[in-house]
Amino acid sequence: MTTAAVSQRTPETAWRPPSPQLMQIRDLVYQVAGIFQPDNKLRQFEDRCQKRMQALGVSSLREYYQCLTVRPSRQTELVSLLNEITVGETFFFRNQPQLDALRNVVLTRIVDARKKMSLRHIRIWSAGCSTGEEPYTLSIMLMEELAGRLQGWTFEIVATDLNERSVAHAKAGLYGNYSTRNLTPETTKKYFSPAGENLQVNAQVKTHVSITRVNFLDDARMVFLKGFDIVMCCNVLIYFDVQSKRRVIQHFYNSLLGHGYLFLGHSESLYGVNDDFRLVHLPSATAYVKAETKVIL
Amino acid sequence: MSDERQQRLRQRLENLEEMPTIPVVLAPLLRYLEQPLDTLDLEQVVELISQDKSLAAQCLQMANSPLYGRWTAVDNLRTAVIGLGMQRMRDVALSCTLLTLVPKGRTSVDPVVFWEHSLGCALVCRQFAQKIGFPDPAKAYLGGLLHDIGVVAELCVVPEEFQVALELARSQGIPLHEAEAITLGLTHCDSGKIVAEKWHLTEDLVAVAGCHHDPQTARTHRDLVALVSLSDLLCRMSGLGYGYPEARQVTFTEEPGFALLLEECPALRTFDWARFTFELEAYMEEVYRLVELLYRVPQ
Repeated sequence: MTTAAVSQRTPETAWRPPSPQLMQIRDLVYQVAGIFQPDNKLRQFEDRCQKRMQALGVSSLREYYQCLTVRPSRQTELVSLLNEITVGETFFFRNQPQLDALRNVVLTRIVDARKKMSLRHIRIWSAGCSTGEEPYTLSIMLMEELAGRLQGWTFEIVATDLNERSVAHAKAGLYGNYSTRNLTPETTKKYFSPAGENLQVNAQVKTHVSITRVNFLDDARMVFLKGFDIVMCCNVLIYFDVQSKRRVIQHFYNSLLGHGYLFLGHSESLYGVNDDFRLVHLPSATAYVKAETKVIL
Repeated sequence: MSDERQQRLRQRLENLEEMPTIPVVLAPLLRYLEQPLDTLDLEQVVELISQDKSLAAQCLQMANSPLYGRWTAVDNLRTAVIGLGMQRMRDVALSCTLLTLVPKGRTSVDPVVFWEHSLGCALVCRQFAQKIGFPDPAKAYLGGLLHDIGVVAELCVVPEEFQVALELARSQGIPLHEAEAITLGLTHCDSGKIVAEKWHLTEDLVAVAGCHHDPQTARTHRDLVALVSLSDLLCRMSGLGYGYPEARQVTFTEEPGFALLLEECPALRTFDWARFTFELEAYMEEVYRLVELLYRVPQ
């Protein structure tokens, strides 16, 4: 009989035997909110459920599933769970594979499309920009390109959020250690200035970014947001019910140019929500493009 | 590349002089595992695997991975075979056997990367097959495992030329087979078909090895070829390729393999590609870990 040392997985990386109740909650969250928890993140997901269960005084996942489905406060509880899932998601250069795909594949295609329009200008909408890390990341990334293939081009990033305090924070552009932990020393030196223990985004980066408060359900405001090459909307749509989600996505559709791209958050999907967009795969990332160009009157 | 040089390369591949053969000790095991599952005897399988120490150790490592359905550690082969079942054990044994075919240290191509891709693709093929109701998930696994056997042939027979192709693919961010067509004048599908036929693999596996980058050219078993083709592409787009990102945009529903597979599997029409892609993230971590462990086992 052969024996061999069997590797020990560390608790952080270990896969767990899937508990049927946890899988049920995972599927519910994906079905209702459109955000998926892969198997290697199930432990983290369970911890987050446990945290909510403690707050509610609930002792089993089975009971917690009831809280998310049949109790009157189910909608509120789902939002609380989603808050737990997305907590700490905002920092500079957060989703590097997505940014790489944007720079290496998407930008090339946008540049080609814009050249055909004889317009050397790129417009990006950071929809749900929170405290501003995403739009400033994009601004830094495109500024780096201005010395190369975007020489002679201009770009603007429209950043919007519902929350007044987030908008104020974004406008101030002052960030602590958590937000700036992914920055390289070169990027920090080039695009930030020290401000006590924090870092201040340079004015040069800010000039490309306009930040305003917008409610996605405010149709009157949304219809004026037009002509974008890219819409980035990460971890926002998950909070909307299906009807509202469809309405917002329709606005995104109308706001994008024919060659435009919609990027969602990590493990976020539009499956079953909208047929006007089609999923495309980029290197280690996914995005949505218009399935066909519709004429919007 | 001149026609003459291309012809010489093809000749060398066909002669397969430098091509590894399946180790002698493993041949009886493979022959035995080819029999119908219900005729296989557990003790016989354990006995055959135990004859090769490194194979036994590798099988045990693999058998302990959740990718093969186990959640609690086992430390002996018999328990592993019982726990996994004969079907999964066959997958594990075949995977470990083929692992020995990739030459170590003979080229600058890291065999770990090759194995991460092949094993990852095999697992994705099986999962994909189960999700869309493809009739033979075990065959899909094998197809995924062997689809790039032509790369092994090139690594062994024309390593320097293959290296040039890989460098071109890496620097341009283009698919490997496109780079091979430019530098070698043939692709790993061409060499894969030659090897698969030389090794007397079954007709469906010959079709997979020869046509997975162009599934509509397969004369038979187009559904299996299409399934492997899509799984291979998904692996490559998800970072489980040949160690470099392909700088391209892919729409799976517009791939030639999609229409072919749809004829056999209508469930594909409403398939959730996004979710399957997210699920792959967990696979990848485990595939990396597993292949690293397997390569630590002394051969």
